[in-house]
Amino acid sequence: MNPKLRELAQWAGDAATKAGAQQYAVTVGWSRFVNIEYRQRKPETVREAVERRLALSLYVNGRFSLQSTNDLRPQALQDFIAEAVAATKLLAEDPYRTLPDPKYYQGRAALDLQLADPAYAAATTEKRHALVREMEAACLEAGGDKLVSVTATGQDSRAEYVRLTSNGFTGEQETTNFNGGADATVQDEGDRRPNGYSWASSRRQNGLPAPAEIGREAARRTLALLGAKKIPTATLPIVVENRIAGRLVGELLAPLSGQAIQQKRSCLADKKGQKIGSERLTLIADPLVVGGLGSRLFDGDGMAAKKRTIVEGGVVKDFLVDWYYSRKLGCEPTTGSTGNLILPPGPRSVAELMKALGRGILITDFLGGNSNSTTGDFSVGIMGKLFENGEPVQSVAEMNIADNHLRFWQKLAEAANDPWPYSAMRLPSLVFDGVVVAGK
Amino acid sequence: MLRMTRRSFIQTTAGAAAAGLLSGGWLDFAFANQTGYFESQFGITDAICGRALAKALSRGGDFADLYFEHSLLNWLALEDGKVDRAYASVVLGVGIRTVRGDQVGYGYTQELTEEAMLAAAATAATIADGPAGAPARVFTPARTGDYYPLPRLFTAIPISERLPVVQAVNDRCFALSPLIVKANVELHTSQSRLLLVGSDGRRVEDLRPKSYLSVAVVAEKNGRREQARWNLGGRRGFEYYTPAIVDEVASEAVMRAGFLFDATQPPAGETPVVLGPGVTGILLHESIGHGMEADFNRKKVSTFCTMIGKQVAEPFVTILDDGTIANQVGSLNFDDEGEASQRTVLVENGVLTSYLHDRISAKHYGVAPTGNGRREDYSFQPMPRMRNTFMLPGPEAPESLIRAAKNGIYVADVTNGQVKIGEGDFAFYVSRGQRIENGKLTAPIKDINIIGNGPKLLRNIIAVAGDLKMHQGGAGYCGKNGQKVPVSFGLPTVLVKSVTVGGVKAGSQA
Repeated sequence: MNPKLRELAQWAGDAATKAGAQQYAVTVGWSRFVNIEYRQRKPETVREAVERRLALSLYVNGRFSLQSTNDLRPQALQDFIAEAVAATKLLAEDPYRTLPDPKYYQGRAALDLQLADPAYAAATTEKRHALVREMEAACLEAGGDKLVSVTATGQDSRAEYVRLTSNGFTGEQETTNFNGGADATVQDEGDRRPNGYSWASSRRQNGLPAPAEIGREAARRTLALLGAKKIPTATLPIVVENRIAGRLVGELLAPLSGQAIQQKRSCLADKKGQKIGSERLTLIADPLVVGGLGSRLFDGDGMAAKKRTIVEGGVVKDFLVDWYYSRKLGCEPTTGSTGNLILPPGPRSVAELMKALGRGILITDFLGGNSNSTTGDFSVGIMGKLFENGEPVQSVAEMNIADNHLRFWQKLAEAANDPWPYSAMRLPSLVFDGVVVAGK
Repeated sequence: MLRMTRRSFIQTTAGAAAAGLLSGGWLDFAFANQTGYFESQFGITDAICGRALAKALSRGGDFADLYFEHSLLNWLALEDGKVDRAYASVVLGVGIRTVRGDQVGYGYTQELTEEAMLAAAATAATIADGPAGAPARVFTPARTGDYYPLPRLFTAIPISERLPVVQAVNDRCFALSPLIVKANVELHTSQSRLLLVGSDGRRVEDLRPKSYLSVAVVAEKNGRREQARWNLGGRRGFEYYTPAIVDEVASEAVMRAGFLFDATQPPAGETPVVLGPGVTGILLHESIGHGMEADFNRKKVSTFCTMIGKQVAEPFVTILDDGTIANQVGSLNFDDEGEASQRTVLVENGVLTSYLHDRISAKHYGVAPTGNGRREDYSFQPMPRMRNTFMLPGPEAPESLIRAAKNGIYVADVTNGQVKIGEGDFAFYVSRGQRIENGKLTAPIKDINIIGNGPKLLRNIIAVAGDLKMHQGGAGYCGKNGQKVPVSFGLPTVLVKSVTVGGVKAGSQA
């Protein structure tokens, strides 16, 4: 960890105190990233930079503000903090706004989460380019004559972060991120040019699939979109692919937040202990997965991270309540964010599930749509494959599903055996029974 | 996180905002029309710019440019009846770009020192590998439009003056309806100082304001709850937020929340759709706007890439993208490459006429740039983006379109949308509408996604009314390749022959 970040954080905290803040929380982050994009076998974009940013929560005379700046020249920063403290005094008082009780800082897991890859230091410009070239070449080869364009992208970053509070919290985190992806477009009938992609993220360079595999997968997924049509509106089982299932789970989690509940924007506010989904619906927030993209030892409030069961067997077990909304709601805080999210996988593969279902739609991507956390209503565009007798028979697009989350999760019939490791949403593919799929 | 998708989206309201700012030490230099800002505040001289550009061209390249930004964003938020939180964010830096054909090298730094700039320029230069080029020796200030004068800098408006505006929206909402149980009000303001210096000698400076006043309300009736939101704003100064604007923001949101208690999700299937005027212009943004961005066409990944000069819609359909409309949030005095803003015709009397260009695509197609090169901030390279996209009014009366639809859906409010460029397939989310039965507006509907195909939809526009309305929001933004920029849109009432409505029950619409 760079001692300069700690020094800067402490300096900013002292400046806030000097300017009249009774309490503060300060974070200082530093990151370096490199992004390389290839098209037509040459670099399309090369982008690289180092960034630093400071954020400061101020607690002044029972009032609160949050400041953020990347202008870190000492005099500019000192003026910024002094003016921020003065301005905060003009706001309305908020008796709920305090730093967390330090007892919640205690009990931090004694774990090495391995969020920074030691191999990062060995990355060179040449190696980065070679990796992206390999993704592009594999996609071009696998895509064949139908391809009109391929773009391959590699990005890596290293970041450090320090957080200090005036009531005794200190926390540091060092992370690396590696991302690889390819994006392809193929010529279809008429003016349709289906675009598909494959991407992956990992804390470790060797946690990604091989570059050629990413390229081939992008080609395969794009070719699978050829000939897409909408089929007549029908009630069918659907299989939602692992890599996109986070969209639906995220919509279900939104009304479980302390803010949504306290602000009366939650369709789940009175559902604790009640069944809102099928037996198959278990959601575990686990911030302590070694190498996880959502892993951390403390949350945004500095509270020690713990594994929590949010929903078990369809029954709501816990809300996601951060420190501030726990004060407003008069309840114990849990955490404001899930870290990694896990839904226990089942025993069967997607192919086996399709076979067992006979006819249905495998959803491989969403389009547009939205979800209303107050009522639970949602509606979203879908694309994917119609399957019959367990075999894909027709690509579908320009179709839609709509439902209410309070009903929809009752239809969750099974989880596949394929949890997606390249995201903080480590979800398997999910099967829902009897969903209205709108088309012609 | 990297998003590997040639997909673009739009949102009419900002989501939960992250971090923020208050004032910022800028009260000392409060002249909106001041030029030489970066020289006076940071010592950025033409000589330094010349050396940084020379470094950016040290391995060759067609051109290079420097994009300086100093932005201050502030917002105040009210929850549970009190303005008890304030946020501020300062963004400072310079982005340095080297362009060689369609290849781009990009470096940036938040430290406006010559040393840091030369390092960022060296990064940008790596895209080329030839003999060094030489930048211009003289940088000539360009004249620009003046589409958003700012009578008072936001840095000169203290919190004490802003607070009552935020509080007034809250109080008005609760006064308007006994059903309101929660109101969240926010006032966002930002001012960006920008300077672009190009190796061809261009030098353009701007002061860009942006602001909006928004409210999200929750209403409760017989144990049921509904939420609604509204915002007004644009490239506007603080003087815009009069009592009349406060009242409009509050009453639009309260009206919407009340309306939703009787609304349901309609049955699923294909149906005629009438789009009401205003915010429904998102339809154009998704169905054609993105597909006309020239980078997608240059790469042949847009469904529109072979359609220039072709009839794509009925002759009464004309669609524009205009960066010169006073105070609209998508307006620009010059774009983020230093090109003058303009009014660009995408579709004229049904014929596809022009893509939206940045400098790279304009060179590729051998046409003049259209002033659509935009970026989220100094840390990003520019690319073709929309500004304010709308359809010219047609000859019909709005009521006659509803009569002509006979049975279908009337769309009043749209909150967000998304498009797949290559297929042209798009979706937009309807938060409020009504059924049309026997040519009349009947039961209210809500929370449905409408999904269609851009070129097909253009062909299916069978009537346009005369009531063009531009959306007056300031919170809307458009996302593309990980960059967000503010945009606006507008539409007169339009009848579309048939679109898929993603309802809840399998069944016919009639």
